[in-house]
Amino acid sequence: MSAQLWALAVVGAVVLAAAGLETFRAWRARSLSTGATSSPAGDPYIVYFTGESCTVCRTHQEPALARLEGVRIDKVDAVAERELADRYHVYTLPTTVVIGRDGVAAHVNYGYAPSPKLERQLADARRAGLQSAATA
Amino acid sequence: MSSGSQVVDHSALKVNQTGIVVTVLVAFFGSVLYRPLLVLIPLLAIVLLLGTFAPQLALFKQLYFQVLKPRGIVKPRPVQDRPEPHNFAQGLGGVFLVVSSAFLIPLPVIGLALALLVAVLAFVNLAFGYCLGCQIFFQLEKRGFVRA
Repeated sequence: MSAQLWALAVVGAVVLAAAGLETFRAWRARSLSTGATSSPAGDPYIVYFTGESCTVCRTHQEPALARLEGVRIDKVDAVAERELADRYHVYTLPTTVVIGRDGVAAHVNYGYAPSPKLERQLADARRAGLQSAATA
Repeated sequence: MSSGSQVVDHSALKVNQTGIVVTVLVAFFGSVLYRPLLVLIPLLAIVLLLGTFAPQLALFKQLYFQVLKPRGIVKPRPVQDRPEPHNFAQGLGGVFLVVSSAFLIPLPVIGLALALLVAVLAFVNLAFGYCLGCQIFFQLEKRGFVRA
């Protein structure tokens, strides 16, 4: 039994480390990303990184994006637009970046992001935009 | 890079992933009471590697195509996709299980942990659609190390 317990502990540690690394990567990408792709004064929008061979993009991410009504979505081929993809540290497809009113990345999602999560992030970005406008 | 116009039945992939998760869990927890159940891990390695190079020998996929699909137990889900990344991921799982099997007797903690990692990754693919092996394949392909 002790071998099984140790193995569980090892795998648990690996999974936790991977989750921590992923969280750190998302945080770092958000804090490093300062460039806007376009329309800095507009409503928050989504930059959606995808690729020809990304299955989850077609089966999961695109239906989730289609459920967002009235939101601008910039679809980007991560392989063709390497420079833009590098700016957001895109190494997993799909990746979605919520760009705030100020043109700065407010949230970065590596992997599939369901529509409720994206809606929440867009609402956050709208609120942040309103607050900064009120204090300006 | 190929055009990606082939069709892959994702239900077959899901059955395969379920088979991997169940087999590893039975071996892992079953071996607490009955140690010989650990033999399931090298057997699973053989099944995965055989299935990678000869799809007609892929046990779980054949279970789906010969039994589950014809009887309507699992419904087909054809998706326009490339089979190569999924085959690569399966092969990688098989290789990890071979290494795991080699460690089972001298260092059971390492052997069991590697087998459990394969099950965790298969579960992540099954539940969330994230295929780490496929990502590795795409990265290797982009750098020209593998060709579809």
